[in-house]
Amino acid sequence: MEISLFQAFLIGVVYYLGEVGTPWLTLLFSFTGLYRPLIGGTIVGFILGDPVQGCIIGATINLPYIAFINAGGTSPSNPGLAGTLGTALAMAAGVSPAVAISIAIPLGLLGTIIWIAHMSIDVIFVHVCDKAAAEGDINRLCFWHVWPPQIVMAIICIIPVTIGAFYGAGAVTDIIANMPERVLTALTVVGGVLPALGIAMNLRAINREGTLLFFVTGFFLVQYVNLPIIAIAIFAGVIAYVYTKLFMNAEEA
Amino acid sequence: MVENTQAISGEENGVTKKKIVLDRKDVKRAFWRWTFFSHANYNYERLQATGLIYALKPVLVKLYGDNPEAMKEALQRHMAFFNTEPHFGGVIHGIVIAMEEEKANGAPITTEAINGVKTGLMGPFAGVGDTLWQGTLVPILLAIGISLGIQGNLMGPLLYMVLLGVIMLTLAYNIWMKGYEVGSMGIQKIMGGKMLKSIIMGASILGAMTLGALSASFVTVTCPYVINIGEFQLALQTQVFDAILKGMLPLGTTFGTYYLLKKKKMKGTTVLFLLFVLAFTLGMLGILG
Repeated sequence: MEISLFQAFLIGVVYYLGEVGTPWLTLLFSFTGLYRPLIGGTIVGFILGDPVQGCIIGATINLPYIAFINAGGTSPSNPGLAGTLGTALAMAAGVSPAVAISIAIPLGLLGTIIWIAHMSIDVIFVHVCDKAAAEGDINRLCFWHVWPPQIVMAIICIIPVTIGAFYGAGAVTDIIANMPERVLTALTVVGGVLPALGIAMNLRAINREGTLLFFVTGFFLVQYVNLPIIAIAIFAGVIAYVYTKLFMNAEEA
Repeated sequence: MVENTQAISGEENGVTKKKIVLDRKDVKRAFWRWTFFSHANYNYERLQATGLIYALKPVLVKLYGDNPEAMKEALQRHMAFFNTEPHFGGVIHGIVIAMEEEKANGAPITTEAINGVKTGLMGPFAGVGDTLWQGTLVPILLAIGISLGIQGNLMGPLLYMVLLGVIMLTLAYNIWMKGYEVGSMGIQKIMGGKMLKSIIMGASILGAMTLGALSASFVTVTCPYVINIGEFQLALQTQVFDAILKGMLPLGTTFGTYYLLKKKKMKGTTVLFLLFVLAFTLGMLGILG
């Protein structure tokens, strides 16, 4: 499949709209929307004329990032880039969803650069805002909060992705064709391990004694009892309520 | 429709005082400005500081619009470092709006008091919010969405997005408005009482158990290695690991990662590279697959 320059540009725009800190769709529909490969991949599929294939590939690429967390300004990977450019290149190269993960994971690693770049560059605008604050000029402050950072963000998001989607497909096809089977398997192994990072980072964010016991309970309810996640979430809600209630009452007594 | 600025004249010690009253429309406008623009200038130095000012603009203009000195003070007050989970943390914004309103009307509320509320609440609400949003709700809905999407069913992404949007926006809006209603009076209730403690405890249990289920379902580590000793064959995965404890490799991987983050205090990115190199190497050697 060929990706036209216009399609490549649209994919760049989709990536920009999903990046953390792009205001136009709200943080909810960007960071927990387009930024997730399930959503980003489907939209890229629409652009390339096959939303169903985009959805399948996007959903597959999303697996390593199922519990992805961005907290306190640290982001250990970029599922947004993996989901948009990854799906585009996988569709263009016509590879299976499993191979798509192998294309997407290195992109997700590479994408951290975009995050670090905008988090660093935006510091400049904070200092301009400091000056505006010292003059009591709220309009100027609000201008510098939105437009300069968004222009920078649009440039560092749209240009690399447009180029990557337009020129990358051929390169990816060649690389995949010449890649030993073993390397693809090894990248799949990486894909299987990666959800552990998001889960562990979430556990660290919870940061409470005794939480690991509840973690282990949830883990083995799936391993041995084979309960679906939604069922466990419901039980977890009930247990959380009862436990907290009892704990608080005991403390009061 | 209530007028934007209400000028209520009251006799206080013989002096006529103008009272500035915010109406719910201003508070709602601030909510939507925050919902869209909270992270537009997210940065390493002060994270959401300018996002909070951007959100509060309609409020600040109404309260301090004709008092440049007070406006300057307010802007400089809110340029301080601020970072919380943007939906559950909205309770802080609600309270801050209420405090600014009282301050503008002469209540003895200091800059330190307002910043104290912000810094005191932003951590706990970031913890609760991230656990419930990024750690629980998003992965659960994604798990459902992915299971449909992976079969080519477009209802997968659609269902995920609609459910998440409705649940989170409803929560965020009500939490924000609640914060404004309880105002500075509510801080004692939240901080001192057992409410915050209960919420944190409940959220962490719910989050931890769900994460355990996610770990079992999505962390895939298998060992296809078969040891050959003459006639005797030993398949490590089925005859050793599964026999001892089902899922011991994924569980071990998750705990190992947690250990590096928590006890070794490694950065997420460092751990990512470690995991990548380790998994890739073991995959190349055929030990994992």
